[in-house]
Amino acid sequence: MTSKILLGAATSLAALLATGGALAQSAGSTVVYGGAAQISPQVESGDLTAPSLAGTKVDVKKATSFVGGITYYWTDNISIDLPIAAPFKHDVVGAGAIEGVGKLGTVKSLPITLLAQYRFGEASSAFRPFIGAGPTYAYFFKPRATAVLSGITGGTPNNPTTLSMKRRLGVTMEVGAAYNVTKDWSASLAVTKTFIKTTGSLSTGQTIETTLDPVSIKFGIGYRF
Amino acid sequence: MKPFHTRIAAASAALLGSLLVAGCGGGGATADTTPQVNITSVKVFGDSIQDSGTFGFKFTVQSPDNLIYAERVAASYGKTLCPYFAATGATTFAVNTATAGCTNYAIGGGRITHTSVAPTNPLNIGAQMATFAAAGSFTAADLVIIDGGGNDAADLVGAYLNIPRDSAAAYRGLLGTLLTPTQIGTGLAGGATGTAGLGATYMTALADKFYASIKANVLDKGATHVVVLNIPDITFTPRFQMVLDSIAAANGGGTAGATARATAQATFQGWMTAYNTQLAAKLGADERVALVDFYKAFQDQVATPAQFGISNVTTPACPIAGVGGDGLPTYNFPTCTATALSAAPPAGVTGADWWKSYAFSDGFHPTPYGHQLTQQLIAKSLATKGWL
Repeated sequence: MTSKILLGAATSLAALLATGGALAQSAGSTVVYGGAAQISPQVESGDLTAPSLAGTKVDVKKATSFVGGITYYWTDNISIDLPIAAPFKHDVVGAGAIEGVGKLGTVKSLPITLLAQYRFGEASSAFRPFIGAGPTYAYFFKPRATAVLSGITGGTPNNPTTLSMKRRLGVTMEVGAAYNVTKDWSASLAVTKTFIKTTGSLSTGQTIETTLDPVSIKFGIGYRF
Repeated sequence: MKPFHTRIAAASAALLGSLLVAGCGGGGATADTTPQVNITSVKVFGDSIQDSGTFGFKFTVQSPDNLIYAERVAASYGKTLCPYFAATGATTFAVNTATAGCTNYAIGGGRITHTSVAPTNPLNIGAQMATFAAAGSFTAADLVIIDGGGNDAADLVGAYLNIPRDSAAAYRGLLGTLLTPTQIGTGLAGGATGTAGLGATYMTALADKFYASIKANVLDKGATHVVVLNIPDITFTPRFQMVLDSIAAANGGGTAGATARATAQATFQGWMTAYNTQLAAKLGADERVALVDFYKAFQDQVATPAQFGISNVTTPACPIAGVGGDGLPTYNFPTCTATALSAAPPAGVTGADWWKSYAFSDGFHPTPYGHQLTQQLIAKSLATKGWL
């Protein structure tokens, strides 16, 4: 479950980063940007496999982190965006039959996304909406379980239950807009949706299929080189 | 521009690469098992399923690493349990001097109302609590785990089923511990419905009695983290399944037998529900109490054993040692060891671990895995309260 969350977060981050790169520029321009992104997984959890309480589900909470990235203008209208983010740290909490137990663990996500973007308007326009799409690889790491997870799965402090999330590939769609403040400086805001699933695993053997499908909002300030 | 691009691209690649490496390096799964509440002592009051060895054995499969659920819960807080009392006879107890400072007061055979010993005998769970309360009080760092009522319900069922043989003498006697002669007389005069209805009235009064004990000796003594289990549906234990089967047989079997069986089970379940409902009314809203619905959880385990990883929910894992005065099988826990069970899988079962997925050790008590499931149930309640 945690893995799924992380993946979603990572994906969202990547999407955000990509968005931040949107600046009205011309072919051959390279824009480097920095900003922040919030990834909100839209979790649709499966049930934890047996042995478990029937209907044991998870939720993955939203996370915020710093993002940056680089956008290269292939033409005046087509750009390639590579967002680079600091890891997002998501809380994984109980849901379904274990709703209310609180935090089962945390998992970090690092979404790696490469977006192809189409930017509307002229290269010289101050305001340029854009759309984008591309693959996202959600990298989940450093899962850290809580006493609650151990407790409800029969673990002990000496033999605690741990969790992991499978790294997965997904697709990210993006809608955003960039505003050119000056010739070189710009600001951008983008919303991305990443379609991604993951499988969470417990050290006690159970697994859970989770759809993360995170929505991310990314804001960035960019500078054209 | 070109050198810039090259440098930016290189820097980006380096940054991305470093992030990936950082991620890879820290990919190991870890756990922070520090509970949200610091518990420094776990105090336990109850009956056989919470007994850490008052009689020199636990009421489950014997093995040094087979923890009962109260011990498993304590382990979540880094604590171990040992019996406060040591049995000096079948119904006599002294403070355990072999190990000092023990905090598990639960004793196998413990009842809310034990009719064959004095009220101050710690086989009365209220007396266990009073023993502690007389010597001290609780703090916010104490976790208290209390169960009771299962043996009382079993007593009531036994007395009820004995009505045709003893003219309701045992039933009257047990009911008389909590109900007035007028209540009993009116009920028994009311035919089958009135007679069975007394059981529910009794169980409600039993819950009131247990609540009064818990309030006076635990809640009023400063405890703020109290786990109370309600009565599990004992009609689904192998012992009471046999009792119900005998009711079916006595009614001629077939459809008539099945109807009688279902009626009896519903009656007994109604009694336990009366107790559990009253206990919830008294304790359910108390911030200091985590009331655990053992009744429903056990029913769920019986209804969907595979979901809980249980391979057998009907057959006790321990070998039958003999036949009791009630015609039901008896078991011998001291000789029912993990080693012995692993060495002797029953017919049709293979592997040394066969008993580790059974629900029952004898006809009335869970296996170590059954205990684990109950610990997980309690952990869910503890977590929901923010105590784990």
